Amino acid sequence: MRIELRDVRHVYSPGTPFAVEALKGVSLTVEPGEVLGVIGGTGSGKSTLVQHLNLLLLPTGGEVLVDGADAVSMDRTALRRRVGLVFQAPEQGLFAPTVEEDVAFAPQRLGLNEEEVRGRVREALGLLGAGHLAGRSPFALSGGERRRVAIAGVLAMGPEVLVLDEPTAGLDPTARGDLMGLVGRLKASGVTVVFVSHDLDEVAEAADRVCALEGGTVRSVGAPDEVFYDDLSLAPATVRVAAAVGERRPGFGRPVRYGETLAALRSLMGGAA
Amino acid sequence: MADTASISCKDLTYSYTGGFGPALSGVSFEAGQGEYLGVVGPNGGGKSTLVRLLNGLLAADSGRVRVAGFDPATEPFEVRRRAGVLFQNPDNGLVAPFVEDDVAFGLENLGVERAEMRGRVGEAIRAVGLSGYERREPHTLSGGEKQRVALAGLLAVGPEVLLLDEPTAMLDPPGRREVLERVRGLRRSRTVLHVTHHLEELFDADRVLVLNGGRLVADAPPEELFSDADLLRENRLVLPTVPRLAVDLGLPFCRTPEELADAVEKRSRDNSGVEAR
Repeated sequence: MRIELRDVRHVYSPGTPFAVEALKGVSLTVEPGEVLGVIGGTGSGKSTLVQHLNLLLLPTGGEVLVDGADAVSMDRTALRRRVGLVFQAPEQGLFAPTVEEDVAFAPQRLGLNEEEVRGRVREALGLLGAGHLAGRSPFALSGGERRRVAIAGVLAMGPEVLVLDEPTAGLDPTARGDLMGLVGRLKASGVTVVFVSHDLDEVAEAADRVCALEGGTVRSVGAPDEVFYDDLSLAPATVRVAAAVGERRPGFGRPVRYGETLAALRSLMGGAA
Repeated sequence: MADTASISCKDLTYSYTGGFGPALSGVSFEAGQGEYLGVVGPNGGGKSTLVRLLNGLLAADSGRVRVAGFDPATEPFEVRRRAGVLFQNPDNGLVAPFVEDDVAFGLENLGVERAEMRGRVGEAIRAVGLSGYERREPHTLSGGEKQRVALAGLLAVGPEVLLLDEPTAMLDPPGRREVLERVRGLRRSRTVLHVTHHLEELFDADRVLVLNGGRLVADAPPEELFSDADLLRENRLVLPTVPRLAVDLGLPFCRTPEELADAVEKRSRDNSGVEAR
């Protein structure tokens, strides 16, 4: 599915002295099957933006289109089943006595039979490498494990688009790497992924396209190299290294991912020999 | 024997009730006055437990702890006026309607005279670069600003030791830079124990402790730790991008993109020089 935001505005507490305009006319398309990384400072509107993708927040101006049709008039429950949203620190929402029951909560409410529910749970936990945790209490797990279980709970609904708001914040580096591996597996299975992150290195690694927000507007959007090389203050470490090399070696190229950057540096060092 | 170290732990062991095993087991280390120690390790490794034992929120099952010369388990108030903790989430720590009241909160609890309090609050707010923010309401501040207010509140009390428990985990990159810059400014004037998942925050630390499964598995200067690939892997630590590129390219340890670009340039010139001969 394609989700299109057209000039979306969002004002919190409109008409009161506390009114804050969090989105000031954002236009952005989430293409089917892509991995879109959303970056920007605190207060730039990232969380507000992603909550419009399944209409958890309604725009106070502009339009949200799903496959070209106005999303506001669609069945909200059906939309939220197709667009799964994982909040920041989703492990705070875990509640059931076992991991399995927690992950089964949403598919059970989709009216699936017991067998289908079990299948969904197995599949979702499997994708997150958390199958072995099924019988455990969610409260006896590590931070990274709990995060994965909470994400499995949303995946078990079988969404076409998965929206992750800072999925790796507060996790140790290996757990962060594991989660970003999930993003790759989801993409391979045809799920569209939108993820918000402060970690530019992981955005560089995983995203097909990057959207940079600033003060409630889109500062830039496009392929990672376009966004990152255009403004090095937004760039991950790989790009800052490559840009510093490129200053002395015009034509060095514009690598973004770690592997590309390493290969380009290697060939520069080795190629000169 | 008097303790000259700011922090000293000997054979520290602690188990949570109902936990699978000890959260900390036989941990021993010392931090001298003015030293900057990093603490890293996987989730569940014992980092936060250590911080809680150091300021008396938890009492060790066995072993000996001294912070600024006092035992946090039996004299928590003596320890807490000498060792401040900066936690992960800035929203959990700010209590007062205005920034200056918040910074003064710790001093009020210590019964400091009003005139002296004014001076110390002003000084602490300056030290974190927030002059002019005295009458701002904390909830209108950015995450980085809130953490700096919390840090000012600690500094106003004038602690010998700062315990930083992932103070940047919830901040965006500019917020992280702000907080780290202020923390770096305190080097040598305080003893700092800095828990983090971001190894790049510890490039300038004097030593880095690695906690895994409740055990202290390494206590080494950052360059030594960062160049030990096996140790990093075993402890689920990932080298930050710049030094990792340097290692993969067979170059010496580099901290910044510029340093690495210089090293690459130098190596490629050396290589072409070899060929020309």
